[in-house]
Amino acid sequence: MVRLSDLHPNEADHLRARADAMPQFECERWLTPRPLAESTVALVSTCGMHRRDDPPFTLGAVDYRLIPRDVDWADIVISHVSTNFDRSGLADDPNVAMPLDRLEDLAARGEIGDVSSWHYTFMGGHPRPQMFEEAGKEVGRLLAEDGVDVALLVPI
Amino acid sequence: MRPPRALWVSFPLGRPLGIPGDADFQLDVLRATLGMLSTATEPTIEDYPTDAPSVGPEAWACPVSLDVELDDSLAGRLLAEVGRLRPWAAETRRSRGRTLFGLSGAGPDEVDDVAIVLATVAESGNVTDPPDTAIDWAHPMPFLIRHLAEDLRSFYHEAIAAQPGDTPPNHDALNRWIFGETVLGEVLLTIGGHLTIAGDADSMALIVRNLTILEGHFETDFTN
Repeated sequence: MVRLSDLHPNEADHLRARADAMPQFECERWLTPRPLAESTVALVSTCGMHRRDDPPFTLGAVDYRLIPRDVDWADIVISHVSTNFDRSGLADDPNVAMPLDRLEDLAARGEIGDVSSWHYTFMGGHPRPQMFEEAGKEVGRLLAEDGVDVALLVPI
Repeated sequence: MRPPRALWVSFPLGRPLGIPGDADFQLDVLRATLGMLSTATEPTIEDYPTDAPSVGPEAWACPVSLDVELDDSLAGRLLAEVGRLRPWAAETRRSRGRTLFGLSGAGPDEVDDVAIVLATVAESGNVTDPPDTAIDWAHPMPFLIRHLAEDLRSFYHEAIAAQPGDTPPNHDALNRWIFGETVLGEVLLTIGGHLTIAGDADSMALIVRNLTILEGHFETDFTN
């Protein structure tokens, strides 16, 4: 997350107001995961990335798309509707927001146990985050069924 | 959201791992994040100590000369500008083996078609009727305008990426260039005016304007 002072004042004010209006969530039961070197890791990103043949995210979308572990980067697009973040870095290297190749690096070095077969993307920026509850729980179930130990949430 | 462990980073929006193409830097950010799994014992936010380098608007200028032939038509000038950028964008696509262009429904090589449609919308002021072309557009009007603009922005960014220099322009620099120095910027700001007027009858038009022209670049008073 960028420093607010690096944003246009209107955008910074908007984000401050959004933070003030954010619903309060209780922290779930504290869990100590198994050692990282034995853990399977998945990415959950809000960058709006998906495969070119997937339906694009639409205004107000609270659904999600799946990114396979062996995704071909030539096959991805970003249909996030916000214009207030830079895509040029993502165009140059998708790992700057969806670090799948870096997870493979960590797995190859034995620093993590494995990379999940599936990863998940949402379109962030929705004014009512509680609207994601149903899809969030669904993705949580899918991650658990796939034996994922650690979900790394990557906001855009 | 209240994740149990969070790493705060100072990187610009759109680059949460910091530096494109720098695997070591990205790995360091990941290690700092995942390392909290073994160190945090209660809900924790840590600060990542390093900034990512970028060049701001004062220090960056587009190295491609965009002087185009005088032509009364906006479409003609936009096509000339796109033509000037095409070899550079092609070079980037070749080296990357991919493109983000095509959200509108246009194929990767249908850049001129997208440019003509946007310029036509700007010249006609018609932000409601679907463009009369052979392309199967992926969105209805006026929402399509947002993705047409994004496609051309992607193309312009591809052209810049082929330029020499290790440190890329930041988001501000890119947008000041597009909205301040290019025909594309002139086209988008003109369409912004049309969307403002259309917004009296259809609030979607105002939403599309705000999703097309980012904060700080649409300041013309179209009410007079």
